[in-house]
Amino acid sequence: MAVQVKTNQDELYYVVHPLFDEPEEKINADDLGPMPMSKSVKFSLYALRGYLIIMGLLVSFHVLSLAIHHVMP
Amino acid sequence: MNLIENDNFANKGVSTPPPPKGRAVHSRWTSRLLLFLMVVGPGVIVMVADNDAGAVSTYTQAGYQYGTTLFWLMLILLPCTYFVQEMVVRLGIATGEGHAAMIYKRFGKWWGVFSLVDLQVVNFLTLVTEFAAISMVASAMGVPPLIAVPFMALALIAVASTGSYLRWERATIALCILNVVWLLIAIPLGRGAQHPVRNMLLPTAPLGGFTSDAMFLIIAIVGTTIAPWQLFFQQSCVADKRLRFSDLKWERLDTFIGSVLTQVFAIAMMLAGDAARRHGMTLQAGKDFDPTVMATFLGTHGFGPFVRNSILLLTVDAAILGATAISLSSAWAYGEVKGWPHSLELSVRKAPGFYAIYALCVATAAGLVLIPKAPLELIIISVQVVAGIMLPSAIIFLQLLLNDKELLGERFVNKPWNNWVNWIIIILLFSLSFILAAQVFLQR
Repeated sequence: MAVQVKTNQDELYYVVHPLFDEPEEKINADDLGPMPMSKSVKFSLYALRGYLIIMGLLVSFHVLSLAIHHVMP
Repeated sequence: MNLIENDNFANKGVSTPPPPKGRAVHSRWTSRLLLFLMVVGPGVIVMVADNDAGAVSTYTQAGYQYGTTLFWLMLILLPCTYFVQEMVVRLGIATGEGHAAMIYKRFGKWWGVFSLVDLQVVNFLTLVTEFAAISMVASAMGVPPLIAVPFMALALIAVASTGSYLRWERATIALCILNVVWLLIAIPLGRGAQHPVRNMLLPTAPLGGFTSDAMFLIIAIVGTTIAPWQLFFQQSCVADKRLRFSDLKWERLDTFIGSVLTQVFAIAMMLAGDAARRHGMTLQAGKDFDPTVMATFLGTHGFGPFVRNSILLLTVDAAILGATAISLSSAWAYGEVKGWPHSLELSVRKAPGFYAIYALCVATAAGLVLIPKAPLELIIISVQVVAGIMLPSAIIFLQLLLNDKELLGERFVNKPWNNWVNWIIIILLFSLSFILAAQVFLQR
């Protein structure tokens, strides 16, 4: 933060490093609890679940086929 | 900027007003420059560290195989990487907390644990590749990996454990500045500005067309440029540095400068690969592209030991930067979710869990690389696959959090144009992720 100090003779600017400044009050997520499940949030999370399941199945299929190939070349 | 009229003190008969803390300067412009220099750090570090050892390998290989024909991709990725990271800057400054904590608090325990485990797995695999690169470069320079790898691991632990965020940041910025040497190398290696600039501004098909190999490399470049650890790292870094609401514009500038630098350095790496191809470098049968071999080739084919040694040392620099940033993102995320003290400003005694996770990540990855016949090739391929699969999920959480009006209010929440840009990036990432999956799982 830069603080400007004006005197009759001169202008001075005090620049404070964030680490040495007074802590400011931030938004507190603890008071809010979980995010409300609106339609768009629900849709996004379901889509993400579907994506992860498809990818998980593909990985399993690939690992299984590699294992079979390894056992029975 | 706050204004204090000192005449008020004079009118009230106060002879000397209490001096505000900080550094005093006489010019408004100097105060702005000084403030920017105080804020700069998280954005430049996250972006330059993004060009880690894996990225050096990917970019030089892209230059070797496709010349300058993929330069247009770098221009497209520049705004993508900036917009994604700008969102975590807003989230970090608004809440003063890290990304893992936000997911845990707003999406519940299941998604919180999922994101944390996902991050730790991808980060650990990536860390192994950083130490594998250190080991390879050490061997190329005649230093035994058994000495080089533990030395680097200890140095990485030491630089983060001083109990001072500023000390760590200054050391890391110095490593970032070293990357300027890539530009010094690119000048003799390049073939003038006209050809690369034309390929940057006019998208062209890669040499040999859009083959499956070319698509794989394009996806690897995208996965290298936008990685899940970057989101977690920069938000935690912004929170640890205690950036204030008024610092937002300077942190945005920091992030923008970082995103330009990362793409410029990446282009210089591609030019090195391009020079190796034009001067006749060939790959040995059954061997993958190796940047240390490329460095030695360039050194012995007219470019001298400066280019060779610089490329080798810059690869180590990239690995160190990547390793410290990735390990920190793991340690910050774990500390946030567990509720442990987690700050570089705290001493090891005050934040033992945070530093233990950091040291554990570094030591385990370094140790794994030193095991003879460790499956490093498998790990390197796994990094690309797992990171490619997991990136879209990290971006989805980010997008949802940045639309959370209850959390961020009107000031920090995404504007409609932000959402348009971000949904385009998300769709692009999901599409590339599916193409990657199809290539890896069905064709290989």
